Amino acid sequence: MNNLKLTGRKPGGARSVIEVGGVRIGEEFVVIAGPCSVETEEQTIRTAVAVKEAGAKMLRGGAFKPRTSPYAFQGLGLKGLKILDKAKRETGLPIVTEVVDTRDVSWVGEYADILQIGARNMQNFSLLREAGKSGKPILLKRGMYSTLEEWLNCAEYILAEGNDRVILCERGIRTFETYTRNTLDLSMVPAVHAESHLPIIVDPSHGTGILYMIEPMSLSAVAAGADGLEIEVHIDPKSAMSDKDQQLTPEAFKAFMRRVDRLREFMAERAMADADAASRGDPPPAGQGSKPKALTPRDPFADAMD
Amino acid sequence: MTLKDLREDIDRIDARMLSLLDERMEKALLARAFKPGVADAAREEAVLDRITRSSRCLAGPDFTGELWKRIIAEARAIQSRKPKTVGFQGEHGANSEVAARAWDASAAAMPCREFSDVFDAVRDGLFDYGIVPVENSLGGIVGPVNSILINTDLKIVAAMDMPISHCLLAVPGADHREIRSAYSHSQALAQCRNFLARNKLEARPYYDTAGAARMIAQERPKDTAAIANRFAAEIYDLEIIKDEIQDSENNRTRFLIIAKEGGSQDGNKCSAVFSTEDKAGALFKTLEIFASAGINLTRIESVPNKPGDYAIFLDFDGSIADPGVSAAVEGASGVARNFRVLGCYNERKL
Repeated sequence: MNNLKLTGRKPGGARSVIEVGGVRIGEEFVVIAGPCSVETEEQTIRTAVAVKEAGAKMLRGGAFKPRTSPYAFQGLGLKGLKILDKAKRETGLPIVTEVVDTRDVSWVGEYADILQIGARNMQNFSLLREAGKSGKPILLKRGMYSTLEEWLNCAEYILAEGNDRVILCERGIRTFETYTRNTLDLSMVPAVHAESHLPIIVDPSHGTGILYMIEPMSLSAVAAGADGLEIEVHIDPKSAMSDKDQQLTPEAFKAFMRRVDRLREFMAERAMADADAASRGDPPPAGQGSKPKALTPRDPFADAMD
Repeated sequence: MTLKDLREDIDRIDARMLSLLDERMEKALLARAFKPGVADAAREEAVLDRITRSSRCLAGPDFTGELWKRIIAEARAIQSRKPKTVGFQGEHGANSEVAARAWDASAAAMPCREFSDVFDAVRDGLFDYGIVPVENSLGGIVGPVNSILINTDLKIVAAMDMPISHCLLAVPGADHREIRSAYSHSQALAQCRNFLARNKLEARPYYDTAGAARMIAQERPKDTAAIANRFAAEIYDLEIIKDEIQDSENNRTRFLIIAKEGGSQDGNKCSAVFSTEDKAGALFKTLEIFASAGINLTRIESVPNKPGDYAIFLDFDGSIADPGVSAAVEGASGVARNFRVLGCYNERKL
């Protein structure tokens, strides 16, 4: 991990907090939810209202879609951005949306609160530079063939342009396993926390591509200390124009959020109980005290406290 | 040449035809004041005759005759309805027109080239009202309007305080990534400077915001946009690439509605103009009268009139029907030179 001048771990392990529209990413746990693609105004706004009600703090939605096939739905473009803007005005949720073309960076920045750079573009260095220049917060997804070091170097490109508002997102990598769409690499959560000051969130929707795995992998991500989750939600997943098989219904998302919250509450309670015990001078619970310091630069339960 | 090219040409022509139809109806409405009645058989016949005689190409006389009969019928209907007219400076879609419509949605907004044309037309009875911007929260006073107000005999009958919002407009279907420059009034360009810089757009000054929108609608360039309001986007059928692009949110303009006769006397606001003798305390003595009467001054502005002579504009809360206010006005008339009440009216804030 040489040469990570700007993204590397800070002395003392201080972490970056990225404030977007009143949400403090890296400090409070943030769930970004919404449809894979912006399809219609009704679909987007109804989804936005539902995810907000369930506790999501930001709205995602693709207007420019990178697709495997050039004949697949490419997104609504500018029209999609306007729909997201309308959803933001109605719900107050900040907008996270992907940018795929360097020529679009400034325009997407006019509408979005966070620019997402997708897995396929993680090493598109001119796009990274342009995103860095925009000064907008960037959600940088991990490329599906990338190592941690390559990923952090891509973040370095953005920070080198003077933009230190970068959020990393683990979304799975290609392995020999074909059962899942990708292999969600949750070991990256503690790894990023050990090697960098940037927050990391987890996207189990793309990470598994399988509906029933979204919840268990999300709970695992929470347990691993992730700073947030990105979840695909659609009012009618069967009719979705992309990612039909991995979008939750609003009802399922609501139940999902309840369980995520329950786990976070549990972790916070236990962390508090342990802290009390420690202040009374009790011996630390088995396992915890023996962990090497470098691997837990931060108490993984800390963000459950807010 | 492709079908797409031809259709774009047709769209250009339609945009022009629509503007011309509006203009024709406006002239017809104005003509009403000069005629004893609405119908004028001889004139209508002459128009139809001239049109059908000149129709020697694809648009033949049968077609143009029918079309113009319909146009004349509509002109007559407008003359009979006789909506009240409000003159404004600029092209259709100007912010002044938006203010005029907000003031009275049923009025016909009539474009004028210059501010002085608005005043002259109201004075001559061509328009019932005129609407003019008097000050902007970012740009300050509108010099030419204030200069005319010093010496006009017209009265202020209403005021509108309205937010100004700028939109980036382009031909529908234009690729936003191809846009390289934006045309608008220099003040609008200045108010969107950061937006233009962020998106690497070259600012191209134009005589009017709405005029820029109209030019884009008629020329239909692929790489050029206009900065104008939402109403201009509607009437010129342009796509809003981004709304609310002004750098500052506090962009407001105050418009005055002027007429030959003063309106009702029960307004909430008064405007006056005066000058003072060139000696110590002259302005203070005038203002003191309002202060001791407890009247709130909302605007005080000095505008150069003749060399060495300044006209002072004074707006204050209250109605001239209020004895306290009328006493203060009387008192001020005795102290200041040429103290004149421009109007007592209602001011609306949008």
